[in-house]
Amino acid sequence: MPHISLAAEIVTRLAGLPISNALITTWLVMGILIILSYLSTRSMTMVPGRIQSVAEMLVGGLYDFFGTVTGTYVNDVFPLVASLFLFILAANWVGLLPGVGTVGFFHGEEFTPLLRGATADLNTTVALALFAMIAIQYYGFKTSGMHYGKRFFNVGNPIYFFLGILELVSELSKVISFAFRLFGNIFAGEVLLAVMAFLMPFVVPLPFLTMELFVGFIQALVFSMLTAVFLTVAVSHGKEVHHNG
Amino acid sequence: MEKLGIEPSLLLAQIVNFAIIVVVLTKLLYKPVLGMLEKRKKEIEEGLAITERMRAEAEKLGGRREKLIAEARSEARVILEDAKKQGHDAEREIVANAQKEAAEIIEKAKREAAATHEALSGDIRAEAINLAATMAKRLVAGILSPADQHKLIAKHLVDLGKAKGV
Repeated sequence: MPHISLAAEIVTRLAGLPISNALITTWLVMGILIILSYLSTRSMTMVPGRIQSVAEMLVGGLYDFFGTVTGTYVNDVFPLVASLFLFILAANWVGLLPGVGTVGFFHGEEFTPLLRGATADLNTTVALALFAMIAIQYYGFKTSGMHYGKRFFNVGNPIYFFLGILELVSELSKVISFAFRLFGNIFAGEVLLAVMAFLMPFVVPLPFLTMELFVGFIQALVFSMLTAVFLTVAVSHGKEVHHNG
Repeated sequence: MEKLGIEPSLLLAQIVNFAIIVVVLTKLLYKPVLGMLEKRKKEIEEGLAITERMRAEAEKLGGRREKLIAEARSEARVILEDAKKQGHDAEREIVANAQKEAAEIIEKAKREAAATHEALSGDIRAEAINLAATMAKRLVAGILSPADQHKLIAKHLVDLGKAKGV
């Protein structure tokens, strides 16, 4: 049977801190993103080369895409939403590479993979969701100051008070929905691939692998797009509160 | 939480990792690429503005050129018309002079012919008188004395001259 574990395995400990296989993959993904970024922008010219063209197409395309959602705030929020997209996409796709989840070592009877898809670990997805939610609240407060807080705590009217509680619950539930949507999709995909590879190792897993590539892209898009939408809503709400006094 | 694998230290590590990614990608990727795109956009806009300006200038110059060509054509037409007119005038003058000269030549020829005719008529008349005188001299030689002959002849010749208007 293939090795399937809901939680990421602890590979080692560094100064008492646990190092999971998902954390190692996260570092790998970070390394890939940083090296590719460096290579694509180290010698930029007005007439772009191949790598620069790809980088320009990718970043320019993302900028225009998120610009349609966030409007005039695109310059403020672009680094966050673009990083979410690129990081999640890279993490999802790296999780599909051969060796991830299959290369590892045995602790007696128990197999511990050296690498695990970064987004197939709840620590990563919850961290991303928390980061996104904190950023959303930050931009809300940044746009309209303390007035933004009235969205959650408004004692002027009983209806507004209960609406505030609902808003608060809604914000907290967004973290959970963000984190579990991404984790669920990617983890389910990895389980599916592992089971298919175990049952029929040749050719048959290929369509599923293709589908997982697509799912990885869609999940990255959904996560970053929803963050952009919530950011815009928070900023718009803040602006509205600010205008109404 | 433990069954789901959520561990605070790993969660914090992932938050820090993502924060690093945001900062590094902003510095290494987004700023340079967006800066370059903006720079290129400005250069293209400037290039287009220059092209537009040049086009407008070329149009202006083209208009001026067309105007100059039209003026030159108009001037050439005027010059040509003048030249034609002068040519016609000169032609008319030459023809008139030639006609005048021809008329003079004809007149002169007529005059000379008339003079020649007059001279020849005089000669013929004198010859006729001489002939008549000779004939009369022979006819009347037997009838009249030489003196009477001469008187008679002279008288006839005078009459003849009066009759002819000489």
